[in-house]
Amino acid sequence: MRRWLWWFLLVPQGFLIAGLVADLGLPALDMAVLAGLFLAWFADRRALPFLLLGVAVGRAMVDEATLPVHILVVGIPVALCLPLRGLFVAQHWLWQAFAAAAFAIVVPKLSGLCGRVFDQPSVSAQLDGWAVVWSALLMPPLLLLTRHLPPFAAFVERGFDGGRA
Amino acid sequence: MARAKRTTAFPVGLYGMLLFALAWLTLPRLFAPLERVLVGAACSVPRCTATWFGEPAVAADRSDLRRIEELGERLLRRVGEHDLTGAGDAMPLGDQPLMCRVLSVDRRGGGGLPSELRLDRSYAELYGCRELVTKGGALLGYLLRPGIGRAVDDLPGDPARVMLCHHRDAPRCYAMAVDPDGGPPLRIVVRPAASVDPAPLSVDMWDDPFRASRLHAAGYEVRTLPLAFGARRVPGGLLLGRTRIWGYEPDGVDEPLTIGVYVVPPVLPQALSHVVVWRPSGVEAPSAAASHGAHSRSAARLYDLPGVGHGRHLLVAERAVPDDAAVIQDGLFLGTARGLSFGTGLVTAFVATRQPWSLLLLPDGDDAEPIELYGRVEQGDGDRAWLRLVDGPDGRPTRLVSGYLFTGSNGRHCPAGLWIGRAQPDQFERDLLEVKVPALSGASVAEVFVEEAAR
Repeated sequence: MRRWLWWFLLVPQGFLIAGLVADLGLPALDMAVLAGLFLAWFADRRALPFLLLGVAVGRAMVDEATLPVHILVVGIPVALCLPLRGLFVAQHWLWQAFAAAAFAIVVPKLSGLCGRVFDQPSVSAQLDGWAVVWSALLMPPLLLLTRHLPPFAAFVERGFDGGRA
Repeated sequence: MARAKRTTAFPVGLYGMLLFALAWLTLPRLFAPLERVLVGAACSVPRCTATWFGEPAVAADRSDLRRIEELGERLLRRVGEHDLTGAGDAMPLGDQPLMCRVLSVDRRGGGGLPSELRLDRSYAELYGCRELVTKGGALLGYLLRPGIGRAVDDLPGDPARVMLCHHRDAPRCYAMAVDPDGGPPLRIVVRPAASVDPAPLSVDMWDDPFRASRLHAAGYEVRTLPLAFGARRVPGGLLLGRTRIWGYEPDGVDEPLTIGVYVVPPVLPQALSHVVVWRPSGVEAPSAAASHGAHSRSAARLYDLPGVGHGRHLLVAERAVPDDAAVIQDGLFLGTARGLSFGTGLVTAFVATRQPWSLLLLPDGDDAEPIELYGRVEQGDGDRAWLRLVDGPDGRPTRLVSGYLFTGSNGRHCPAGLWIGRAQPDQFERDLLEVKVPALSGASVAEVFVEEAAR
């Protein structure tokens, strides 16, 4: 129970911290990409629906679209990547960088598509080339770090945790 | 063991959550309280930390606020001057015009455009008024009656609805197309077009089909001809719109071929902010009728959320914040709020939104007519926004000039006439408007517009 409390307390605030980091002039990273990659590759599958809800709540704080749109924007790439989990878990850095860049492109594009379909356009539908580059470079080490930090560490799936299995 | 493997191979929970999100989007009102609680609870953390970053303050002094108020008054005065004139000559002598604010537009009609307006006055307030609804010299549509026809389920205390001329149930109009070259006018019958048609109104019958088939130039003015049919009386001379020709262009060998003639109304329905209803002389205004137009201002505090690009603010209000309520900061329109539980709300600044807006542009100069616009912010950069405007229903770009930009009709809790900023047309693109808003940052005192319940 405690791990869920930490998840819903800290993960939504991660979106605000990412904004703060960008305001300080550091590389702009999309927290939805980091959380989405974690859900797709490392998270306990049985916990995925509510982990996704926590991520969507965080995204709803920084984006004007409604909560269900964020569930779809983050959840669809996760659902598509889930079957490919075996490719990424064993620290294939190049694969991870490639997938992080793909996530950084797919999330805004999907945001734009959902905005058009459900009439909820938002500013996060704009694709930022620098965010893609920084995602490719920084997401693999950040994923390695977050998997060992709370609240992410409590939800890492057993037997799929790269070198730890 | 096998069951566990099946569960991991097919994550039912994740797919269930995605399906739940789709159901949520289908029935937003049902699940809205859940979103208010979840996001509201998440916002309690920045709410607690926001107090560390300073006490809210008012940046504008009294003279600034007075100037902003005067600009709003000037806009409404000029809207009144232009909306109330024009149709007066066509209406019976002694009729009193009543200016009504548009609360919302709804229901797809001819040409795929919204065809129903909801006004800020109740049916009871407009009791005894004429059926015709005008704007300047144009006929826009017909006032519905509670308990009759399309308004069969409406009560006298509900906000009055207007069926625009291109509503599928709107009556046909007897009209004339005025030849700009001075030829005799063509008498026509105008009816609502289908939603897939290229224009909201189509021409059904002609008094001279031969001449009509040789109409190759668009832009004929179409005006009503006087008609008395039962209780319905339409005066002559009201503008319905301009003709649009549908057919084949000349290709050097063959003559141009006219297949259909359509009529495009003078104003885009989504851009309408005010309309005029007429009360006949001798009919007294009801004394105790329900009113929907009144707004109250609720005091609130506004804190910047991290992430400049997101343009998001945390709103802490003294009372519950309804969705899409206008938020005023130092007398200026900041944006609309999304209401959350625990007395909070989230506001997206106008420059950072991508939702469509109904707007009013007050041109510089003493007597220029305010321009009703409809568009969305295409790009925002700090204190500047670039608005991409939707062309008028005739496909022609809206005439843009420099001036002050105000809100138009954007729902019940966002009234027309709130000042946004200074606007000027883009140098290179004809449908782009550059808006400069005053840069405000840090914790500040704000006000939330809330429509009061019908009194």
